[in-house]
Amino acid sequence: MTSITAEEVRAEVKKFWEYFSRKSKSRFDEMYLPSATVFAADSRRMEPARLMLVRRERELFAAGSQVSAKLGTIDVQMAGRKLAVASYPFHFSITRTLASGKRVRVEMPWGRATQVLQRDENGVLRIVHEHMSSAEPVAPKELPAADQPPASRPT
Amino acid sequence: MAKISPEEVRTEVKRFWDILSGRSQDKLEEMYAATALVFTGKAKRSESARLAAVRRTRQIPKTASVRADLSAIEVQISGDDAALAAYTYSFRTTKIQADGTRVQVDTPYGRATQVFQRDDAGALRIIHEHLSAAAPPAIEKGASGE
Repeated sequence: MTSITAEEVRAEVKKFWEYFSRKSKSRFDEMYLPSATVFAADSRRMEPARLMLVRRERELFAAGSQVSAKLGTIDVQMAGRKLAVASYPFHFSITRTLASGKRVRVEMPWGRATQVLQRDENGVLRIVHEHMSSAEPVAPKELPAADQPPASRPT
Repeated sequence: MAKISPEEVRTEVKRFWDILSGRSQDKLEEMYAATALVFTGKAKRSESARLAAVRRTRQIPKTASVRADLSAIEVQISGDDAALAAYTYSFRTTKIQADGTRVQVDTPYGRATQVFQRDDAGALRIIHEHLSAAAPPAIEKGASGE
């Protein structure tokens, strides 16, 4: 199996955010190994990636949700011959609808990402571990009524 | 060179926290490879691990009481020469300031990712570290006798 290159890792990270922003769920899910583990930015515990994917699908891939991200410089480190670590800052913006019907916007200007990748048995680079965090506390802001769907607007 | 074992990685993780807690006189910066990068605290970007280690060591004065409690450490071994450790932790420092005020800083929901690699001499070194907290640290101040 060929060695992992830094350019290959950067290309995977860019694909990750492209699929996330375009809500390409199946391609996004395929970026993780089945055994992958994740620290989500707001989570107190580590969880299997497959659980996080179910939550992201419900919260962020739903109709009416919008996700965008601007990435800083992606540092790539090789750990042995089979593991690569990508780390970078990012600015993350989400607009989504809560279970109550209210629409909220979350801005995370100082996001920090670590993604550890390895090749699967077919030679495809996939995420084996992910750690996202924010350098500053983040609070959702409720959007004004004009931005709310009709059912939740005050009459 | 011997294959890395999960127990070896767990021992290194515990050594890391023993140093931060003042229970070991080993040098924190020596746990890192020369090119290691870390995300820690409120830093908005990654930085050189050895510089961050020197700063961290200075930030914990000798008079502080430090307590770290770790969850189970999950370890994944990759090939013969690299490993990933991921776990949660709580961290508490208590300092008495010059005016006698006691300041306690509690980080109850810490999360840690550390990637290890063997160096040429066979020692396990951290090449990447991401420490973060799911909630901001709680700071409590009171008179030192409280």
